[in-house]
Amino acid sequence: MSEILLPLAVAVPIVAATLPIVAGRRFDAIGWPVAALTTAAVVAMAGTVARVVYGTGPFDHELGGYAPPIGIELVADEFSAAVFLLVALVSAATLVFTRVVGPRRNTFYSAYLLLTGGLVGVSLTGDLFNLFVFLEIVGLTTYALIAADRSGASAYASLKYLVVGTVGASLYLTGVGYVFLATGTLNMADVSTQLSAVGYTDPLVQTGYALIAVGFALKMALFPVHTWQPDAYQRAPDAVTTVVAALVSTVSAYALLRVSYSVFTVDFLAANDAITTGILVVSGVSILAGSALAAMQSDLKRMFAYSSVAQFGLIAATVGIATETALLGGIVHLVGHGLLKFGLFLGIGVLAAGYGVQHVADLASLARDAPLASGALAVLALALVGIPPSIGFLGKWYVALGAVDAGGTTGGIGGIAIAVVVFVSTLFTLAYVARVLERLYFAGVDRSIPVVHEIGAVPDGGEGPRPVEERRSRVPVAPLVVLVVTAIAAVGLGFAGAGFESLLDPFLTEVFA
Amino acid sequence: MTDALVQDPRPLLAVLVSLVASGFIVASYRSPNIREAWTLLAAVVKFAVVASMLPRVLDGTVFEWTILELVSGVPFVLRADALGMLFAVLASGLWIITSLYSIGYMRGNDETNQTRYFAAFAVSLSATMGIAFAGNLVTIFVFYELLSIATYPLVAHDETDEARSAGRKYLAYTLFGGGVLVLAGTVLVYWLTGTVSFTAGGINELAAADPGLAMLAFFLLAVGFGVKAGIMPLHQWLPEAMVAPTPVSGLLHAVAVVKSGAFGVSRVVLDVFGPELVFDLSLPFGFSAGLVLSTIGAITLTAASFIALRKDHLKQRLAYSTVSQLSYIILGLGLFGWYGLVGALLHIPAHAFMKLTLFFCAGNIHVSTHTDYISEMAGIGKRMPLTMGAFTVASLGMAGIPLVAGFVSKYYMLLGGIHMGAELTPVAYYLVGALLLSGVLNIAYFWPVIYTAFFEAEDDHDAKPLVDFRVGGESHSTVGASEHHAGGDVAAAGRHAGGDVTTAGRHAGGDVTPDGGREADESDTESADTPTDETGVVRPDFSPADRDFSEPAARVDTGEYAVDQSPSDADVPFGVKRREAVEDTTHDERSSDHDGDEAGGESHGTDEGHDGDHHGGPPAGGWRHIQGVDVFRGHESSWFTLGPILTAMSLAVLLGVIPYELGFLELIELVVDTRLPAEVMRP
Repeated sequence: MSEILLPLAVAVPIVAATLPIVAGRRFDAIGWPVAALTTAAVVAMAGTVARVVYGTGPFDHELGGYAPPIGIELVADEFSAAVFLLVALVSAATLVFTRVVGPRRNTFYSAYLLLTGGLVGVSLTGDLFNLFVFLEIVGLTTYALIAADRSGASAYASLKYLVVGTVGASLYLTGVGYVFLATGTLNMADVSTQLSAVGYTDPLVQTGYALIAVGFALKMALFPVHTWQPDAYQRAPDAVTTVVAALVSTVSAYALLRVSYSVFTVDFLAANDAITTGILVVSGVSILAGSALAAMQSDLKRMFAYSSVAQFGLIAATVGIATETALLGGIVHLVGHGLLKFGLFLGIGVLAAGYGVQHVADLASLARDAPLASGALAVLALALVGIPPSIGFLGKWYVALGAVDAGGTTGGIGGIAIAVVVFVSTLFTLAYVARVLERLYFAGVDRSIPVVHEIGAVPDGGEGPRPVEERRSRVPVAPLVVLVVTAIAAVGLGFAGAGFESLLDPFLTEVFA
Repeated sequence: MTDALVQDPRPLLAVLVSLVASGFIVASYRSPNIREAWTLLAAVVKFAVVASMLPRVLDGTVFEWTILELVSGVPFVLRADALGMLFAVLASGLWIITSLYSIGYMRGNDETNQTRYFAAFAVSLSATMGIAFAGNLVTIFVFYELLSIATYPLVAHDETDEARSAGRKYLAYTLFGGGVLVLAGTVLVYWLTGTVSFTAGGINELAAADPGLAMLAFFLLAVGFGVKAGIMPLHQWLPEAMVAPTPVSGLLHAVAVVKSGAFGVSRVVLDVFGPELVFDLSLPFGFSAGLVLSTIGAITLTAASFIALRKDHLKQRLAYSTVSQLSYIILGLGLFGWYGLVGALLHIPAHAFMKLTLFFCAGNIHVSTHTDYISEMAGIGKRMPLTMGAFTVASLGMAGIPLVAGFVSKYYMLLGGIHMGAELTPVAYYLVGALLLSGVLNIAYFWPVIYTAFFEAEDDHDAKPLVDFRVGGESHSTVGASEHHAGGDVAAAGRHAGGDVTTAGRHAGGDVTPDGGREADESDTESADTPTDETGVVRPDFSPADRDFSEPAARVDTGEYAVDQSPSDADVPFGVKRREAVEDTTHDERSSDHDGDEAGGESHGTDEGHDGDHHGGPPAGGWRHIQGVDVFRGHESSWFTLGPILTAMSLAVLLGVIPYELGFLELIELVVDTRLPAEVMRP
């Protein structure tokens, strides 16, 4: 019975995407209500699927009644259920924000729903080519959403993303083609069994994986193919950045992990040292470069965009490490980082809506005027650094632990190197987070005086004291509530280490069997 | 002496009490009195929880509580054993005293952001309890970092550039520097032995591990904790952190933060490596790990004492004194033998009481008279007899004069050094020499302060700091600092505009321009210029003769305006008095001596925290002389500040006279007895 939820979860948003346009001929602002209803339905479906999966076990659905390996199947196992839940919740929660600040056109909400449908599709699909289709849906709608404010800057960013993203998707498709050539099937489960017959060191298979991995790297914005991401995040409308940063690269990372572990399997990774070393090197550089570049930024959205580069480097590194703890860390960090980035960009967006904040310097002493928003932002930023207890710490901890274990047992320095890199990046992250917090809380600026450009503008000479403005927060209320809830969740989930372990254990044992 | 391990949540409770309280403190931001009540309540409850464990710990019980299991074999665990109890009792007890002092100081100085201050203080104490009760290296590391983070808002409290810069430096040194080293050491220890748990007498596997790696681990851990303990050359954060309000400098930078560094080193020496292994890990030239540690301590001791001689800013001098005294503990920990270890551990509470007294005195002087520089303190003993009296007692203790706590710990350490020198290695004699030299230097840098306070006159005193002027002294005068700067004498104004925030620029061991001389001339002419009529009322002089019109007119202040006398409330939104930001950011050109307020140092009107300049030094006509019974009525300041000063001083004296009955020495002897091998037991 719950099987039917899987295709429904994909189809409902996609079909509902037509409604704002169709009904828009009659009603003016029909986009938001339709989107809200649809995403609420998706959340309900995700919750039900998660309950079933974590209660009784994974299940799948064959589209159109065609049996795999010819037919396409949608699979809900412990990993995909978690990502599905994240996608559903974040898409729904962002709508609270778009209600207040975001683009309001019906076409925007159409694209938004298409994006949701695509994201759900990526997280649930069990077929390689179907994954490509959904990746493309996600990509195309993202390009459109980034340019949603119709400004030149965002159009440029969107174009940049379009070119790079299409290249990435094409590379992925080429890789899938190679795999198809090697195995004759596109169904993920089937490919994994066929590959063991073909052999993991077959050049065709290796090339296929390399192409797929590079394609995903482009989509995930690993260094050095990340250049589209800072512009895209910075120039998109605030609400769009929130949903894109939290979900789009996340599902690409999910797809990478899924393909690496479920399709190509751990044996492939173990048999191909060159590939895993290459992945480790790229992720290590990505982690360091992303953190360093983030520390140099003064624009808030760009800063956290570069931070994403580093965090996805961390997740990609788990592919290179290929141990159970590392994969657990990768999954936990995937979900956790999605949540954190959602919260961070929501926080920045909320402060931008209330106070026009764009740069770090604009945050001066904002904590007095917007204590709740600043506090939630601070908590989320510290969670991003990885200060316990928080979901960010949990993910990093498992990854570092997996890296050290791998390094210790197999004697490879790669694992130890990744652990050191993780630690160094934590320090870098702390550096730019500390800058943000210092500006928020300790800037010593009195905001009741209008600040022109610099901090601490001299008061008007000779005019006498200004009447004191009521320091009422100008932050919009509903998004603020969502922000605070996210911050609490980020900390609360930090205590759920045992819970994560037990929930994901069936998946892990299956992968590492 | 049973060594029973008992599962008891009280260590966790001690940690959580102030964490919970910090939430209530933030929630009561609109009512300062309720907010302060939360702080005091939390402090009392915390001390009660800790003290309730004391009797059984003295009997040998160890209370343990596991919070969660991080990795198999590495739990996040709190354990209240004798060594932890020593630090915990000290920190929690002194927090009560410091909270009372904070109330007096914050209100007296009319500080902003008091809620943030008290909340951050509560969280810092929570982290300190965590450090005290940590049961293994990972736990102590986590709380160590949390302490750095929690104390940052206190260091950057003033929100000025100097404060932010000091805060950044503080974090860079302790969080990044110290934390990274400690983490590296912890990982290395785990790798070598498979455990990070604190074991009395040392982790056994370490003795069997590769000595090179063990040595590396030892120095990583010792230097990592030593950063917070202020060993040179990693001590630079400490003098800069003096920009914080004085209660912060007192409790945190003389008791909690730096002591946690020293405590960490003691844990490493006693519970990770064990004194025997520390002595056995040998380096070339007859050195061993412990001896190197002691040598670093000795060098720091001496160098910091010399630097302190040159500091004119009182808090800076005390900061370097702290650096020096903490190295006593480091030195003692490296001495192998019963006496050395007991002396080192006893110096933890001894120095805490004495230094707290000294810092509180400095803060009280600042609040009551806005004087921060020793060169301006001539004759201040008349104005603040109790404060300077306590200062005297505490300084004598620092130097090691008997009847005060410093003597007992120093005595034990000297004995330990001589024992070690006689039986083990002659290098220890040099360490003893360093201790003795430091005693003399302590007198050398504290005595001028006492002397100038009690035995010198405002209009004729030796220029301070003594070492910066010629042999034989140079007579200066600092009287008459009422500021009628017609036309603004830039240099003199700049001198007084220093405030207690900037230290580097002004007196960082640099040449002190003979302001005193010029000022003497100036103040003489100016006091002659203060235009008063027959009845003594100050009448402004409006004649435009030689007035520089590019400057705003001089304000005449008789000190009797109501706005200056009524207490302003703390900076509370929607509160009683909202501070007008634009109001008066120009010089407050009033007399520095706020004697207008009687039995309270608490109403200082429009001073904007530390942003305005402070006119230190005596007012026209010299310090107001408090004499007779008024001394004991606390008219020099308020009882909020005087009470804690006298309490801390009394504790220092009591520890010097009855160390056993106070419990500390008994705890310490228990600690050391359980960690030394049988052949080195108490003689």
